[in-house]
Amino acid sequence: MAAKRAETFFPLVAGDESKLNHSRHINYWRRCLKTYLPYQYTSNDSNRMSLAFFIVSALDVLGNLETGITPGEREGYINWIYHCQHPEGGFRAFPATDFGELRNENNKAWDPANVPATFFALLMLAIFGDDLERVKRRECLEWLTRMQRPDGSFGETIGENGRIEGGNDIRFGYTGTGIRWILRGSVEGPVDGVSDINVDKLVECIRISETYDGGISEARFHEAHAGFTFCAISALSFLDRLPLPTSPNNDRVRGLSNLPLTLHWLASRQTATLDDDDAYDTNKDGTNSSATCHDADSFAKLSGFPPKNSESSYKGQPTSQFETQWTGMNGRCNKIADTCYAFWVTGSLATLNHLPIIDRPALRRYLLDKVQHLVGGFGKMPGDPPDLYHSYLGLATMAILDEPGLKSFDAPLCMSNDARKHLESLSWRRKIVGIRDGDEAEIAASSRVEIAKPDGMQVEHEASSDRSHLTLSGG
Amino acid sequence: MSKYSDDPAWSDIVPLPQDDGGPNPLAAIAYKDEYSEAMSYLRAVMAENEMSERVLGLTEHIISMNPAHYTVWLYRAKCLFTLSSDLKAEIAWLNPTALKHLKNYQIWHHRQTIIEKLDSADGEVTFISSMLEADSKNYHVWSYRQWLVRRFDLWHEGELEAVEGMLKEDVRNNSAWNHRWFVVFGNEKMEGVDDGVLEREMDYAKAAIYMTPQNQSPWNYLRGLLRYAKLPASTLKEFALEFASPEKPDEVHSSHALDLLADIYAEEENKKEAEKALDLLAKRFDPIRANYWNYRKSLLELPAAAS
Ligand SMILES: [Zn+2]
Repeated sequence: MAAKRAETFFPLVAGDESKLNHSRHINYWRRCLKTYLPYQYTSNDSNRMSLAFFIVSALDVLGNLETGITPGEREGYINWIYHCQHPEGGFRAFPATDFGELRNENNKAWDPANVPATFFALLMLAIFGDDLERVKRRECLEWLTRMQRPDGSFGETIGENGRIEGGNDIRFGYTGTGIRWILRGSVEGPVDGVSDINVDKLVECIRISETYDGGISEARFHEAHAGFTFCAISALSFLDRLPLPTSPNNDRVRGLSNLPLTLHWLASRQTATLDDDDAYDTNKDGTNSSATCHDADSFAKLSGFPPKNSESSYKGQPTSQFETQWTGMNGRCNKIADTCYAFWVTGSLATLNHLPIIDRPALRRYLLDKVQHLVGGFGKMPGDPPDLYHSYLGLATMAILDEPGLKSFDAPLCMSNDARKHLESLSWRRKIVGIRDGDEAEIAASSRVEIAKPDGMQVEHEASSDRSHLTLSGG
Repeated sequence: MSKYSDDPAWSDIVPLPQDDGGPNPLAAIAYKDEYSEAMSYLRAVMAENEMSERVLGLTEHIISMNPAHYTVWLYRAKCLFTLSSDLKAEIAWLNPTALKHLKNYQIWHHRQTIIEKLDSADGEVTFISSMLEADSKNYHVWSYRQWLVRRFDLWHEGELEAVEGMLKEDVRNNSAWNHRWFVVFGNEKMEGVDDGVLEREMDYAKAAIYMTPQNQSPWNYLRGLLRYAKLPASTLKEFALEFASPEKPDEVHSSHALDLLADIYAEEENKKEAEKALDLLAKRFDPIRANYWNYRKSLLELPAAAS
């Protein structure tokens, strides 16, 4: 198990005042774990399994899960997760659909297992150090194959007459392939008599969701979006179908048909437009002509058109330093920054081994100075109160950026490498993955996406190999 | 005070309380009594598969508190169809509900189910317009709009004009640009587009760039057209040079033009000019992405085949 970093109290950059308020974040998450969430979360009742995952995983990443709960509480939390297990495999997203003893053939359509919830439940069991022996693994994998549509996409639940419900949306492909990876690694074909999902079809589905500007959308022809881009890239990583630099002896269909363009799209997400006031009025004030170029973040401000109210603070500053002090990430072209996209973008780049193409210190400062909240957690935008979703993804981004004091993080699984290693150590899983030990090692060796690294280049590799998720072997 | 237990119309129902699985539930929410009670009645009627008017009222009540409840929508749809309810009335109810829950996805799925059954897109385009007035980049609305266009073959029913109207409102609306791409290229029944259409689209994107040179949406659109047509980047060399040149660092009007020029010079194996363009981006015109531009510079060192 990787220990917490020793350099907790050393700032990342000399003279950098920005700090992750470690103890406040622990307080925030412990409150979420041990007391009721306020009633405003009722509209998220159906996402309780994901909310639970954010809470449990955040405390794990902060290194406070083992010390912060008693063995009895741990047992109780694990039992709650199993309580949500569905009799036919998979997990419910919340206990509210459970009819208990009244469940029968006629009403079971209203109480289905849920794909994203199953992914989060399995991850949480791994974080708690459970062995997943009580998971109906065979039923779960069989159910998973029924969740895939003929076009390769995944649904969210199974409804009446076996109908696949939920949108045609790559989030379900991501969490579905995540379940598959957890329960059977990246081995293709039947395992123990349970057939596999159609991997080629899903990859095809992702390929046609690539957009004309290099991003990925939820489905064909929809708009490129960082969240869906993360889901697609992570799914490809779970399936070991990310592009290879050179692919000798490899005839499998792979995703990301134009990696350089996708990197361009991801790098374009970084922005100094942090709230609505920063967004320029683009066409109503006559400034938006070729003579003024008055309509973008970095460029417009740099070329002599700072917004009027910040002119005084702008003057005398070294331009580039001032402008790039705090930069967040947006989720789509021409939108403003939002905490969660910091994760969707850095998570995508970390999985593609290209994290250094963004400005990590400026993103870190944005998270710490602009959206980190005084009571702990992160808000969506500057001044916003923290919520579970943005607090978790903000923290996860800090972990991806190797913030001292946080556990090292696996982007596609969206949890700590400690938890991932625990999963990979489980004997039943080793048996499944180990059957084809040789194949796995070969896959691991060939599937690394190489970052070009000629002399004199500033972009460095992520140092530790355990951060590269592309090595999926059971170890 | 209790909406259901004190109501004689519900007296035949034994509410089914939630079983939260022992003393350590995760992410437990401080439900208001109103929600807990309604949910207990929902479980009870769902367990019996009751299809009735009162069930429609109950599901509406639940949806007002928790619109993300995925099976309550499916249950409601089944109920509507079983009772042969007035589906137009359902749409009329959905309109304000969607406006109230702009970020909710289940509402759109339900709307799709109902419209599919009605087999008519009457009034939908008007409704979409009102939604986009409230939130012009709402992902669910644009996704639904694409479904509608495909399902009811609305390709030539004013879609292109509608997009143009929205881009006139806000030429930086990337959702509208994406929808334009869909309208032009998304019709599977057509076998590609002809040169005239390509030219028209190029001119349209170029006009938008003249108006807002630093707006990435039309640049992305323009370069997407180029890739679609399998034309080299250098096709746009003259156009890009109108906005920037590595030789005139004080007259740069668009960082995106420099980006394009860097690609064109790389394509022409003019490494020196490509480096100049990327340096200008990294140091002066787009320092936010300095690492990225330097990375791109490093790619110039690689043999052409690798990029
Ligand atoms: Zn967000």
